[in-house]
This record gives sequence, structure tokens and C-alpha cells, in this order.
Amino acid sequence: MPNEIVAGSDAKGDCRVNVTPGRALAIAVASDDPHLFERGIREVVDETLAKLGRVKATVSVADKGALDYVLAARVEAAVRLAFPEIPAIAPKVRRRPSEHDAPRRSRLYAPGNNPRILVGIELHGADCVLVDLEDSVPPGEKAAARVLVKHLLGAIDFPNEVWVRINPLALGGADDVREVILARPHGVALPKAESRDDVVALSKELAKAEQAFGAPLGSTWIMPILETAKGVLHAEEIAAADPRVAVVAFGAEDFTRDVGARRTSESLLFARSMIVAAAKAAGVQASDTVYADIDDEAGLAVEAHLARDLGFDGKGAIHPGQIPALHAAFTPSGKEMDEARKIVAAAEEAEARGIGAIAIGGKMIDRPVLERARRVVRLSDRLSRKESR
Amino acid sequence: MKNALGREIPKTIGSRSVEAYAGAFAKQRSGFKAPQPQKSSVPGENKVLPSLEAAIEVTGLKDGMTISFHHSFREGDRVINQVVDACARMGLKDLRLFPTALFGTHAKLVDHIKSGVVSRIEGSMNGPVGAFISQGGKLREPATLRSHGGRWRAIESGDVAIDVAFIAASQADAYGNANGINGRTPCGPITFCMVDAQYARKTVVVTNELAPYPAYPLEIQQGWVDYIVVVDEVGDPEQIASGTLEMTKSPARLRIARLAADAVVASPYFKDGLSFQGGAGGVSLAATMYLAEAMEKAKIVGGFVMGGGTRIMVEMLHKGLVRTILDGQAFDPIAVASLGVDPAHVIMNPGLYANYDSRGCATYMLDAAFLGATEVDVDFNVNVNTHSDGRLLHGIGGHQDVAAGAKMTVITAPSIRGRLPVILDRVTTVTTPGEVVDVIVTERGIAVNPKRGDLKACFLEAGLPVRDIAELKAEADGLVRPLGKPVFGDEVVAAIEWRDGTVIDVVRKVEGWQ
Repeated sequence: MPNEIVAGSDAKGDCRVNVTPGRALAIAVASDDPHLFERGIREVVDETLAKLGRVKATVSVADKGALDYVLAARVEAAVRLAFPEIPAIAPKVRRRPSEHDAPRRSRLYAPGNNPRILVGIELHGADCVLVDLEDSVPPGEKAAARVLVKHLLGAIDFPNEVWVRINPLALGGADDVREVILARPHGVALPKAESRDDVVALSKELAKAEQAFGAPLGSTWIMPILETAKGVLHAEEIAAADPRVAVVAFGAEDFTRDVGARRTSESLLFARSMIVAAAKAAGVQASDTVYADIDDEAGLAVEAHLARDLGFDGKGAIHPGQIPALHAAFTPSGKEMDEARKIVAAAEEAEARGIGAIAIGGKMIDRPVLERARRVVRLSDRLSRKESR
Repeated sequence: MKNALGREIPKTIGSRSVEAYAGAFAKQRSGFKAPQPQKSSVPGENKVLPSLEAAIEVTGLKDGMTISFHHSFREGDRVINQVVDACARMGLKDLRLFPTALFGTHAKLVDHIKSGVVSRIEGSMNGPVGAFISQGGKLREPATLRSHGGRWRAIESGDVAIDVAFIAASQADAYGNANGINGRTPCGPITFCMVDAQYARKTVVVTNELAPYPAYPLEIQQGWVDYIVVVDEVGDPEQIASGTLEMTKSPARLRIARLAADAVVASPYFKDGLSFQGGAGGVSLAATMYLAEAMEKAKIVGGFVMGGGTRIMVEMLHKGLVRTILDGQAFDPIAVASLGVDPAHVIMNPGLYANYDSRGCATYMLDAAFLGATEVDVDFNVNVNTHSDGRLLHGIGGHQDVAAGAKMTVITAPSIRGRLPVILDRVTTVTTPGEVVDVIVTERGIAVNPKRGDLKACFLEAGLPVRDIAELKAEADGLVRPLGKPVFGDEVVAAIEWRDGTVIDVVRKVEGWQ
């Protein structure tokens, strides 16, 4: 008997696609309202099957309000699970360019196999949407999830950055990279990074995938996530491992479990400071861990300001409602911006006049202060460009 | 003939002749309203009857007559079914129902329609009855849907004559004074039926608690009431708060609510004395909550909030964020309880609220209002009555009345529901014309009616995501292939009245698909 393959689910906003290999292609579509939806659903299914090659199988689609890209993803996932030799679809992608030090005050996590939560995920103003293939996706759904994430990234013109958190390379991460690179994420987040080698291995996978699929070499950033004792201790070599590394993130949930700590601001202080120092030494950004209680706005604000004080450039969010508090904490104040501009202007003037030392109002400005000022000016320029879009 | 919105309207619908909608405030009436029934009273009359059957008997209710009800118990109502069941047992046929609204709990009316006990319905056909009618279930005449204010007007003008009004009350005295505030099972205001009580040929109060004279507050008064029937149960207050009253958790919906509240904050109306309509539905509740937070932060005290009373409004009153609640119907038990103890929580009847043919409407005093939509179109018209497949599923409620009155009418709606686009070139049915809609808020941004350049400037100044409505539509359309379209026949299933009694649109029977 041929095996029946299933992708998707009966949840709202999703669809379930069953593929049973057979002698000829047969397509069946069911939806909440055949009159309204069936023709459109059939069009999407037909086009997707045409791209995959007309397989000999019965393809049944049961729709629960899935958007077109979800339908296409579920059909592709089920067909490729049934016929592993069929190559992946490369979606048409419109991706805005990003920069190594783009603003990343907030990175919003979104579960990669939940269409209902993914709808409109680009609309909440996060500097960086991080679609997850790791912890939020059950093992049995990994293959379907990476196809869904690829179609999401293909269909949506993200106003800011979109990243994908892959699985560790040995646990499917390499497959994740090969799939999602087709939809050109701005970057890839590597969970449980513990060494320079982890990052270099990912960089090599990215390079291979970029070359294979015609993406510019080196165009995908890396965000190592440090969430083990080993990872935190190796922060320095990880942050400096590869030019693709743009930001180093902290994952406190796994870290506290790994070292046997209780989560307090004191117990996390060493790891946080270590990560900030390592990131800044390597010339990259540092991003703090998520705050798990979505109803505690005051607690979130306190923790975000603490992270800002320590030198972090941003923080994770597990709900869009957390974004305003993060942006409030990590956006330089008007006074900070003014001071930074003054320092940079004084430096430019000094340079033009060939003077080595910079002074404002008789006070000498050190090189690290100037560097910090330049970062603030760059950030504020980018934020104002973003605002005017 | 075509009305002012270009909608094709027949000259007659069933037995009524039709006046076409000519504009939101085009119709102007003077002269006199319909007369009320007259009866003299003498001391010592006994109004209490032993049963609903006795009331049906002595009121002279006959085949083909009209009976009316209010919906203040919402999903918990037990009176409509009891009365219609009694009519059926007594062999009555061809009745016309004139409820203020129907709910899922009234699904068994479908059987009474099938058996011919009920042959016509005038009024909002929410839920299963509406679905039955638009799927080919037969009424002798097309239904007429009216807003809360429009229904009141239709009674006063004589457009609808009521034979017997059955008024559920959680407390009444033996002389006919009745209310929904006190008693063991309070439901909140029952003033929707004040006008029924005054105009019906006979008025029957149905209560489960007879109190000593005088029962108060005097929502329904002795001078309008012919009979009182005491029954075991009039309604279940636990079921007043239906699912639509839960705060939404969906990030997209919360974003809509946040943007809607931000729009009010950015408007010139956000100052001391701000008045607004809250209402039911997860998005409206969340928007009201966000607005309350903004008022608290800016130290602004609102003049009044209006609507179905909710826990959130009561909290605003208790926190001193607003001076008054004008409450037409309670949406949860906390609002019901507050009506009994908070003097500034004021009962409002639909005539005061929204009667176009009157000397003033409370909705005209509103600065801002949050209202929902099933569909909107690029001309800012709103449909709350029919689904995109043509089925009639919802009543008008206060939608038209509030939109027509508020200085800033904010429609909150997602740009897409599942595979169903919400922004269309042309709504399936017009409930509320674009003329009285100022702002449409979706999760993708805020569209401002071109005639409100002033508001658009405020929103841009505040950094809100103002978008062209065609752009919002294109973005949502990009996510799904076009829908199949219903082909409508000539047969009219229901007339949608504008609040002045003219017909703004009709719902036709679906005959096929393209």
C-alpha cells in the first residue's frame, strides 16, 4: 500500500494536505464555503503542482482559511515528503536591503509552523522578525515548517528585517538553511552556539546555499544565540568567528537551566556582561534575552532598561505587545542624540584641520566615546529613515 | 429605482411601498406622530393573569397579528420562546414577530416558521433564524431590518403597529411598573420596549418576581401596561455576556484596537469632556481599554461613554476617568450591578439614544465611536448585515445611529478574515453609508475618508500609519485569489432601512455563483 503523507493541520488559518502516491494525478479540494473559496484554492494548488512537476498521486486539500502562500507551502511540503527527489520551489522574493548594523532594538519571535500567528507578523513594527524553526516547532513538523517559512518570506515584503532561527546544524539546521535561503532572509539565528566552529560551519553552509541558489555570497547575516555555559564562556571567539556575525544574542531560559541558576538580574549579570563585552570587542551588536511574562509590562520595562544600561542594543520579544517597551528602552534619547552629533561634528572639524585631539568646551573626547557617538548617530539616522518610510 | 448610493431598490417590497434612501440627513419630517391607544383607568383593577395562555386569550391575540419583544437578556432570554410556544399550543398561525433582536437561543423559532405559527419577522435576524431565511426558508413577506433608533421611529410613525407587546422584566409590581435592574435575575435596562409598551394595542409584562408597589426604577410604567404574568423564568443573566464580550488575544486584533485608540488620541476630540461609544466585540473592548489608559496618562476626564454597558466602562467611571455612562443595554453582569448602585450610570432608552424623528439624539453628542464591520468598501460604506456569500446573518444594532451621530466614526476591521477579504470595491449590502464614516482602521494601517482631511493631518502629525484605502485593499487582495461571487435574483429577502425609514439597500436571494 502506498503511504499517505500529511502536511498542515485543521487549525484556523491553516489547511491540511494529504498526498497518496498512485497511478495518476487527482486533486480534491474541500473548504468552509466551496462557492466562495474553491476556485481560488484550486488555482493555487494547480500552480504549485505545476511547479513541482505533475506527480502521480491523489492530492487532497482541506482548507480552514489558509492564505495562498500557506496553501502553496502545504502542498509543496506534502508532495516533497512523498517524493523526496522533487526539488524545492524557489519563490519570487522582494527583500529590502539591510545593513550589518541595522537597528535591532526588538527581535520578535514567531513560531514557524503556525500560520495563524504568522499572519500579519510583519505589521507590528519589530526591527527584526525572527521566524522560528527550533523550539516552537515539534520534531514531526520540522520539514513542513521550513517550507512554510520559505513561502512566508517569499510572499511578504517585510518592512524591516526578517530572520530565521534554524535548528542546530546537526539536528536539521543544514536542511533549514538550504530551504529558507531560497527566500533570502536577512539573517539566520543559530541556537545553542558554543564555539567558533559552530559559527564557521554555519557560515560555510550559508555560502554553499547562497552559491547554489544564486544569492550574493556573504549576503546572509548570522546571529549566534548563546544559551549554555559553554556558549557564554566562548562568547569572544563566537562573536569574532565570521564577518557574517552581525549580532550576538543571549538566551536566558536555557542558560539558567544549564548552570542550575534561578533567573534574577544578579544571576544573569555575568553572562550578560560577557556577551556585551564580546560583541562590542568584535564590533557587532548584542541582543538580550526575551522577557517571558507578556502581561507584566512594568517588569519588561525594568529589564529592558537594565539591558540597555549594560550595553545591549536590543532585546527579544515573544509578543508584539512587548515591542513598544523595547523601542522605548533602546532608542537613544533626544539628548543622547544631540550630544553624539556634537561629538561627531567636533571630530570631523578636528580632522579637517588636522588636529589629533578632539575637545568640546575644553573637555577632551576619548576615542571610545567618539566611537560610541558615531554608533548613536548611525542608529538615529537609520531610525529616522525608517520612520519616514 | 436607484437610491442615492446607486443601489437598485424595488418600488414595493412585500405589501409596503418603498421610499429610497436620499442621504444621511435628507429626509425631514414635521407634523404629528401616530396616535397611541387610549384607555381610562379606575381604582381597584387587577392586572395579574395566571398564565401566558390567559394573556394571549384576554389581549385578543389572533392569527396574523404582531407581537413584540426586547432582547435585554440576549443569549439568556427565555420569554420569546415561551410566548411563541404558548401561541403555537393555542393554535395561532401567521404571527408577525417584532423583536428588538434575536439570538442563538431562539433557534427553535425556525420550527415555528416551518409550521406556519410565525410567518413574518420585522427586526434584526441574528443567528440561526437569519441563516434559515436566507437559505431559502420562507417568510410570507421579506423581513425589514432597522437600527435601534430606526425601530423606535417606525413604531412612533405607525410604520409598524404592534398588537401585543410582551415585555420581560426581572422585577415588576402588580400594577405594571417593571424594570430589569432589580430582582433575582436582573438583565440591565429593558427600555428598548418603552415605545412598544406605549404604542402596542395591549401590553403584557412577563416577570419572575412580583415586588411590592412601586417597583422601581420606573423603566416600564403602569400607565402603559394592561397585564402582568408571573412565570418561573424570564432569562438567565449568566448568558448576557456572550462570547463577543471577551477581550481579544490575537496580536492582529490588538493592533487594530491600539491604532483605533491612537487615532482618537491624535484627534482634536481628545481633551477634557471627551465622549465616546464603546460597545461589544473583542476589538471595541480592547480599544476602549487602550483609550482609557491614554486618558488616565493624559489626565483627561471624559464627559460620557455610551453603549452597551461593560465592565470596562464601569471601571472608568469608578476611576473617575469619565463622568457618566449612558447605557442602553447591559453587556455583562458587572454593568448590571453598577446600574443599581452608581447614580452616574444612567439608563438610556433608544428614543433618547437615536430616534431620528425626534428633537435630539444622544449619539449626536458623541465625539468618537468604535464600530465593527463585516465588509467595508473603497467608498467607506459598511456592511454589518450580510456575509460575502450573500447570507443575512446580523442585525444593524446601533451601527447606523452611532455612525450618523459621532463626530469621528472609527470602523475597526481586519483587512482579511481567513481567506475572506474585508475591503471590497463594493460591499455586498450597505448598512451604513460612507458619508457618515470617517476612519477605517485595519491591522495594515488607517484609511481616512477623503472628506476628513483634518483628521488625516492629525494622524500624520502623530506618526500614525495612514494609508490609502485602495492600497490597503490591494495588500490584502495580494494574499488570496479572488472569491467566487454570488449571483442575486430579483426576489428580495430583506429590506435594510436607514434610520429615517427610507431603504438604503435590499438583500436579495442568492440564485447562483460566478
